[in-house]
Amino acid sequence: MEARVAGVPEDEESGLLPRQSAAGRRPSSRGPRFPPPPAVWATVDGPLGLPLEEAEGHARRFFLWGFACLPFLWAINCCYFWPVLRSPAAPSPAAFGPIRPYVVRSAIGFTIFSVVLITWATTFIVGGERLFGPAWNDLVMYNVADKLGLSGFMG
Amino acid sequence: MADAAAAVPGDPPAGATVLDSLGEDITRIVYPVSACMFLVVLLVSLLSSPSSPSPLSASIAAATGGGGVSGGGDDIPTALFTALTFVVAVTAATFLLALLFYLRCTPCLRAYLGFSALAVLLVLGGQVALLLISRLRLPLDAVSFALLLPNAAGALALAALAPASVPIALHQAALVAIAVLTAFWFTLLPEWTTWALLVAMAVYDLAAVLLPGGPLRVLLELAIERNEEIPALVYEARPVDPRHGRNWRLWREGRQPGADLDASSTTVEVIGEVLGRNLDANSGNSSSPQVHEAATSAGYVNNSRPRATLGAALSSDPTVEQAGEVSALREHRVAVAEMRVPLIQPRPERSGEEEEDEDGIGLSSSGAIKLGLGDFIFYSVLVGRAAMYDYMTVYACYLAIIAGLGITLLLLAFFRKALPALPVSIALGVVFYVLTRTLLEEFVVQCSTNLLLF
Repeated sequence: MEARVAGVPEDEESGLLPRQSAAGRRPSSRGPRFPPPPAVWATVDGPLGLPLEEAEGHARRFFLWGFACLPFLWAINCCYFWPVLRSPAAPSPAAFGPIRPYVVRSAIGFTIFSVVLITWATTFIVGGERLFGPAWNDLVMYNVADKLGLSGFMG
Repeated sequence: MADAAAAVPGDPPAGATVLDSLGEDITRIVYPVSACMFLVVLLVSLLSSPSSPSPLSASIAAATGGGGVSGGGDDIPTALFTALTFVVAVTAATFLLALLFYLRCTPCLRAYLGFSALAVLLVLGGQVALLLISRLRLPLDAVSFALLLPNAAGALALAALAPASVPIALHQAALVAIAVLTAFWFTLLPEWTTWALLVAMAVYDLAAVLLPGGPLRVLLELAIERNEEIPALVYEARPVDPRHGRNWRLWREGRQPGADLDASSTTVEVIGEVLGRNLDANSGNSSSPQVHEAATSAGYVNNSRPRATLGAALSSDPTVEQAGEVSALREHRVAVAEMRVPLIQPRPERSGEEEEDEDGIGLSSSGAIKLGLGDFIFYSVLVGRAAMYDYMTVYACYLAIIAGLGITLLLLAFFRKALPALPVSIALGVVFYVLTRTLLEEFVVQCSTNLLLF
C-alpha cells in the first residue's frame, strides 16, 4: 500500500489511506513509468482530494462565501485544508503559501462565530427564566414551533 | 491487503487480489448502510407515536378517497393502490429524467437535484429537529435555531452536491443525512402502505434495471453511449486503493486497458489533470451505478477521443442531485423518483498491478462500489417500520438486509454490470419480518415467561 507517515491517525473508514497530506508518497518503483505525482496534498483526503492548483481558488471561494452568513463554510474550509492549517508557517511547502491565509482567516472567523453562538446559547439555557423573565418562554424553540405550528406537518 | 503486494514484482493471482479487497469494499458499503439504518431506528424510537395517525396518513386517506376505513386508510386495497401509484410516478419520473438526459438538459437536472437536496435538508431536517427539540425539551432558543438550521442545511447540501469541495467524510455524511431524513419521512406512512410500497419498489427495481425497456436501463445505455455521467445522488464508498482515486487515476488517463503507457497520451494526462478535476467531481458524484459500467472509465481511458470526452463531460456538468421531497406526497413521489438510483456499481477489476492500468476495464471511475441513495432509503424504511413494532424485528430485518446486500455484491462481482440492489434485500427483509413477527416472537415470549431463556 501507499507509504504512510508514522503516527498518522487513520479513521475506521479510510483504512489504509494516508490522511496527512505530507504523507502522500508514491512508491518509487512506479516513478520511471509515469510523471511523478505531487509530493504533498493540501487536503485532508490526500490523493483523493483537490489538486494543489485548485486548492487556492477553492479556499478563497469558501472564505468569501462564508461572509454570507454561512460560517459553516469556514468550518468546512478549515477541516478540508487541515494539513495546511497544521503545518507551521515556515517549513510548510511552498504550495501551501497562497492557501494558508484564507484557511487561517476562515479558522478565525469560525472561532469567533462559534464563541459568540455558544456564549449566547449557554446564557439562554443557563439563565433561563431568572435572567430573561417571561421573554424566555417566547424565545425557546419548542414554544415558538408550537405557536407557529411548524412541527404539525409531521405530527 | 493484496494491494500491498503491488510494489512487489510478481503480483499475486487475480483471484486473491479480488478476494482480499472485497472484504474492505463490502465493509465500506455496509458501514454507511448500517449507520443510516441505525439513525432511522433511533429517530423512529424517539419520535414515533403510533397511537395517533400522522397527518401524512390522513392525507393519503383523503387522497385515495378514504372509504371510511378505520385506521386512516390502513387497509390492503388502499395500500396497493398507493404503492401502485407511487411506482407509476417513479417510472414516469425516471423516463422524464432519461428524456432530459437525452436532450442534454443537465443544468436543469442539476438545478432540480440541488433544490431537492436543499428542500429535504431544510424542510424535513427542520421538522425532525423541531420534533426532537419538542420531544426532548431541549431549551434551544429560536435565534440560534434560525441561525443554525439554514447554515447546516446549506453546508450539507453543498457537501452532497459537490464532493470535490468538501472532505469525503462530510460528503458521505451529507448523503447519509439526506437518506435518513427521507427514510424517516417514509416511515410515517401507514403500515400496509409502507410494506406494499417496499415490495412494489423492489419489483420495479428489478424490472427497471434488468428488462430491456426499463427506464433505468435506458438511462444506463444512454449514458454509456455518450460516456457521460448521469446526474444523481449516489453514495460512493471511499476507494480501497487510493491509486484509484481521482488524481491518481488522472495520471493514467488516456491509457487503453492492457496497453502500455503511450508517450502521446502524456499531454492528455496533463490536460486531464487540470480539467479532469471537474470530471472527477462529476464522475465521483453522479450516477446511477448503471452507467458506470463502462461510461466513465471508457471515457477516460479511451485513447481515441480523450479531449472530446473531457470537453463533453465538462459541458454536461454532471453533478445533479436527485433527491428530495417536500410536503405533498405527489411531489414527493416525483422527487424521490429521481433519487431512485437503485443500483450497485461494481469495483473495477484489478488487472496486473505493474503492467496494466487498474482502471482499464474499470467499471467505476474511482474504483469504488457505488450504491444509489434510493437503496439506503428503502432499506432504512424497512428497518424503521420494523422498529415501530419491536426491536426483535429490527435485528432480524437488519441481518436480512445486510445479508441481501452481501448477496447482491457477490452477484455484482460475478456479473460485473449494474444490478438492482433492492430486490434481494427487501425480499429477505420482508420474509424475516413476517417470520419474526409470527414465529420468533411467540417462541421468545414463551421462553421468557417460562424463565427458560432470554
